[in-house]
Amino acid sequence: MASVEITGLRKLYGDVVALSDITLTIPSGAFYTLLGPSGCGKTTLLRTIAGFHAQTSGQIAVDGAPIETLPAHKRDVAMVFQDYAVFPHLSVHDNVAFGLKQRKVDKSAIKTGVAEVLDVVQLSHLADRMPHELSGGQQQRVGLARAIVVRPKVLLMDEPLSNLDAKLRVDLRAELRRIQRDLGITTVYVTHDQEEALAMSDIVCVMHGGIIQQAAAPLDIYLRPANRFVATFVGANNFLDVDRTSGGAVLRSGGADVAARISAEGPVTCAIRPEDIHAHPPGTAIDPGRIVLAATMREISFLGREMEIFAVTEAGEEIKAVARPDPAIVALPPKSPVTFTVDPDALSFFARGGNGDRLP
Amino acid sequence: MSLFHRLRHTDFWTRVTGLIVAVLALLLLFPILRVLMLGFVDADTGAFTFGNFVEVFTRNYYLNGFKNSLFVGVLGTLGACLIGIPLAFFTARFHVQGQAWISTLAILVLVAPPFIGAYAWIMMLGSNGFMTNFFGLFGIETPTIYGAHGIILVFTLKFFPFIYLMTQTSLNGMNKSFEDAAENLGCTPWQRFTKITLPLVFPAVSTGAIICFVLAIADFGTPAILGRGFRTLSTIAFSAYRSELGGRPTMAVTVSIVMMAISMLALLAQRRILSKRRYASALTNPPVKQRMTGWRNTVMHVFCHGIVLIAMLPTLVVVYTSFLKTNGPVFIGGYGLESYERILRTAPEAISNSFVFSLGAVVLITVFSGLISYVIVRRETAAAGAIDFLMMVPYLVPGVVMAIGFVTTFRGGPLDVVGTAGLLILLYFIRRLPYGVRSATSSLRQIKPSMEEAAVNLGAAPAKAFLVVTVPLILPGLIVGALMSFITAINELSGTLILYDGGTITMPVQIYLAVLDGEFGLAGALSTVLLVCTGACVYAVFRFAENRDSAFL
Ligand SMILES: Nc1ncnc2c1ncn2[C@@H]1O[C@H](COP(=O)(O)OP(=O)(O)OP(=O)(O)O)[C@@H](O)[C@H]1O
Ligand SMILES: [Mg+2]
Repeated sequence: MASVEITGLRKLYGDVVALSDITLTIPSGAFYTLLGPSGCGKTTLLRTIAGFHAQTSGQIAVDGAPIETLPAHKRDVAMVFQDYAVFPHLSVHDNVAFGLKQRKVDKSAIKTGVAEVLDVVQLSHLADRMPHELSGGQQQRVGLARAIVVRPKVLLMDEPLSNLDAKLRVDLRAELRRIQRDLGITTVYVTHDQEEALAMSDIVCVMHGGIIQQAAAPLDIYLRPANRFVATFVGANNFLDVDRTSGGAVLRSGGADVAARISAEGPVTCAIRPEDIHAHPPGTAIDPGRIVLAATMREISFLGREMEIFAVTEAGEEIKAVARPDPAIVALPPKSPVTFTVDPDALSFFARGGNGDRLP
Repeated sequence: MSLFHRLRHTDFWTRVTGLIVAVLALLLLFPILRVLMLGFVDADTGAFTFGNFVEVFTRNYYLNGFKNSLFVGVLGTLGACLIGIPLAFFTARFHVQGQAWISTLAILVLVAPPFIGAYAWIMMLGSNGFMTNFFGLFGIETPTIYGAHGIILVFTLKFFPFIYLMTQTSLNGMNKSFEDAAENLGCTPWQRFTKITLPLVFPAVSTGAIICFVLAIADFGTPAILGRGFRTLSTIAFSAYRSELGGRPTMAVTVSIVMMAISMLALLAQRRILSKRRYASALTNPPVKQRMTGWRNTVMHVFCHGIVLIAMLPTLVVVYTSFLKTNGPVFIGGYGLESYERILRTAPEAISNSFVFSLGAVVLITVFSGLISYVIVRRETAAAGAIDFLMMVPYLVPGVVMAIGFVTTFRGGPLDVVGTAGLLILLYFIRRLPYGVRSATSSLRQIKPSMEEAAVNLGAAPAKAFLVVTVPLILPGLIVGALMSFITAINELSGTLILYDGGTITMPVQIYLAVLDGEFGLAGALSTVLLVCTGACVYAVFRFAENRDSAFL
């Protein structure tokens, strides 16, 4: 159990800025996820915390004690690797005992410690196997057991599930979360899978281009994305332009007046989640409180649990809506007119230039 | 910060890199630079001069050596290609009975003591050779083995395995679709072979050929034993060294520099040609072997087995003569173990020295190749790149040069160690280190870096992580490297000849001296001992190496 504080962390590879001024706080016992597209610097950040390479500048503190100049083997942060990195020449038991041996724990304590942890990850029956006799999922459990057996201050995981098949990934996801909660280990978890991030984390930290975009609880990230990037990367979003008239502001598509919602100056765009857009078959009554968007149907994909509707508004903006399958809509031929409605409260607004920050 | 402070705070691998750089500078760069400098020094006055090179390129004695070296080097390489390429093609594309046998024999030829070929041919075709005498009974005069053609014959039969093994590997890795496509586009089999297959294996063939050429130019034992007045640069360098003994070996060095320049130029030329021909392809469609029938099949089998048997002939002759009954240097008919008794009586220290020196060198090589491979593969520093590059140097520098470098560097002063066991061990160490490093490096490249990271992450200091995780994982590579360097160390002749003294004689030197004295029984017995050691190591390499053929290249 330990809190982690990172201040002004920078990492350059030659001219490439991999991390730019990272500042974040991880509360003790939290499951903290770094989420972002490929190349955004997640792995770099994790490996800098682990001490596998030196930062260009900045501080990392665990429980208030600076660790950024300690060599990797003295940091007491344990890592679970994407490729498992289970030592192929050691048995499951010896793999798990490795860290304890380095800490000069006495033999009997190693024995009980290893047995306990193998029980936690449900591998007790495989203690004497060699790694090549294990499945991928079992190897990753060994990787996890090996890391948590030393009771590290911080647990680091770099896409630990990405080499496993989809079903196993979901199972292990829940198990990882349970174990982490039981042990209360502060955990930094890296993934580019937003579903995984939202499902597991206490805090999701969205990164892009080596910069933290937003760090918040999963629900906050989804409902109140801090900027356009987060709004697009986590869940899908439609972006519709807002036209400024003298003193007012209207949606370019549909012309609804949104001036009351916008306090800032400058160009603005409006975001609407696909699931907040309702499609109405021709001739249905429409609630007058809702914003209406008239559009032309492009295409409908029926996916089973839901359907995706792609359409173009009269102003030429593309719209995607997701809804429960409705036979009346699925039957519509392409190019037929379709009416969409949105609850005014479901709109959020972002600056169109710069970082695309969310407007209050 | 004081130096001590800084040292304490640099991490383990930085210190190791420093140590490696220091060792290579002291044992490799410094001696070589000392040697090179000697080439530009006047023997009498010690003043700077280009006179030595002028002498080499104007006096007939040297010019002839230069031409002779090129002559036997080029023709020996050509000969090796002429038998190596067809052999590779047959075994890679057709069903040949006893393939494993053929490649095993080729490898044995490759690792056999370097000068066995030369003196065994003397025993067969020399002025008193048994073939000469046998054919003489029928009044048939056999061509003499002495001179250029003898040397070329020996080079051809000694170096063809490089061509054969490299070409074969390349042929086996060639996507069959290329040949299929050529056939589909209307090529006859012969056109297909010359227009598609040959160009595609050209990189492998030329790499093999360059190895042959460099080794042939640097080879000392063969021209020394077979030359008889036909002098090459390597024998000229050696006799120059002998006659300059005590003074500055300027001519020996100048000649050696010319030798190295030839090798270097050949290597650079080959690199240049190759850089324009890079053929990458995935082995999606592996080649299939065809069956040859009728008289062609017979000819092919006779050719393949005939080649390796003829190449093995010297070895067999040597082993055979070691069991002949002798009285002193004279064979007196019948069989006996006198030769072995004699080596135990007259040269036991040659045997023990060879083992002690080679094993000593191998221990050093194994330790250093583990460390060096880690630095080369895992660290992206300029020093790592430089070390990687330096590992090519010992291949290119002839033993004579290295040894003269050691003499000039370590002779005199309070630390006169020339002739000592320690210096010979260091010579073997530096000359054979690349074999160990190559093998360890290729092993380590297959280990994911996350292995060591996991160990460090779990609390093992870098040195400990290396010892308990990396070393066990690259152990097969280290063992193969140790065996390869042992084989090549225990057969070292040219450098030892310059550095040894009475107490530090080794088996190859003893064999060389015995051959010069016409003591073929003694030479045979010692060579057999060497062969048995080498053979045992080859067997061990087969056990440990993933790809048994390419481990020897
Ligand atoms: N050793 C290196 N040398 C140079 N640039 C590097 C190096 N390692 C990473 N980078 C660069 O740093 C940036 C961040 O890389 P990083 O591996 O942290 O991304 P990531 O977020 O983990 O991506 P992924 O999801 O693909 O794993 C990338 O632009 C990458 O190209
Ligand atoms: Mg990554």
